[in-house]
Amino acid sequence: MTIPAEMLTDLMTSTEEVFETMMFKSLVRVPAVETASERKGAHVVATVAFAGHRRGLVAIHSSIDAARSIAGAMLGIAIEDLNDEMPDAMGEVANMVAGTFRNKLAAIEPASAIAVPTVTIGSDFSTKYMGAVRRARCPFQMEGQPIAVELILIGEEKAAA
Amino acid sequence: MRFLIVDDSSTMRRIIINTLNKLGYKDFHEAGNGREGVDRLATTPVDMVITDWNMPEMSGIDFIKAVRANEATRALPVLMVTTNAAEDDIKEALRAGVNNYVVKPFTPDTIKEKIQAALKA
Repeated sequence: MTIPAEMLTDLMTSTEEVFETMMFKSLVRVPAVETASERKGAHVVATVAFAGHRRGLVAIHSSIDAARSIAGAMLGIAIEDLNDEMPDAMGEVANMVAGTFRNKLAAIEPASAIAVPTVTIGSDFSTKYMGAVRRARCPFQMEGQPIAVELILIGEEKAAA
Repeated sequence: MRFLIVDDSSTMRRIIINTLNKLGYKDFHEAGNGREGVDRLATTPVDMVITDWNMPEMSGIDFIKAVRANEATRALPVLMVTTNAAEDDIKEALRAGVNNYVVKPFTPDTIKEKIQAALKA
């Protein structure tokens, strides 16, 4: 079973709203792809879990250069003046994207709760989840740099009431 | 006007301070969660509190309840800045005693408008 297209549209719209409002950065959509398992090569992954009516994660993937660009824009700091602010900034981006997405879903179904963000930085790692998981990755271009937001849903789609 | 910014994200504290700076405010204190916020209020008088909701150790909701339970801080204007925007979330925050509510992501104009509304409340 795949993730409903309207849910991915909500996720992409949420991501665009956060980037435009907080960083004044416009994102260009690239066609979404279903992901059967892991992707390698992303260097920064900021995730926020949610639970309640739905269970899963929202993950923001980017290169370290793109993450530093995002952090600088959010904080109003030149990239070369950033110290260790980037991980917290990426966590906050994931928090806002997941929160905005959750709010859009809450308009049509019971609200889920979101957890505090987790940020992983590395040169070659992948993520795997046990059990019935649906994953979809929504790629964007941000000023020529690739970033992506991924939705991971745990369990099958609930039947309509 | 003195602000206490309570948020576990140093990024969000900085964004809020940058925003308040743009609006002409210059006096800020910071706390990393509700418990630190309570401790800071015991020693540092402020004119308004801006707090997150989801924080470790003491949440924004529990922090606001503590503010309202203390005679010295009972009347302090409190603005909540959070991603939680479901109708039930807003009702819960209002029950806890928040004066106004800002949903992230936000613009400086939104913060300005909500501060003014919270001060009038």
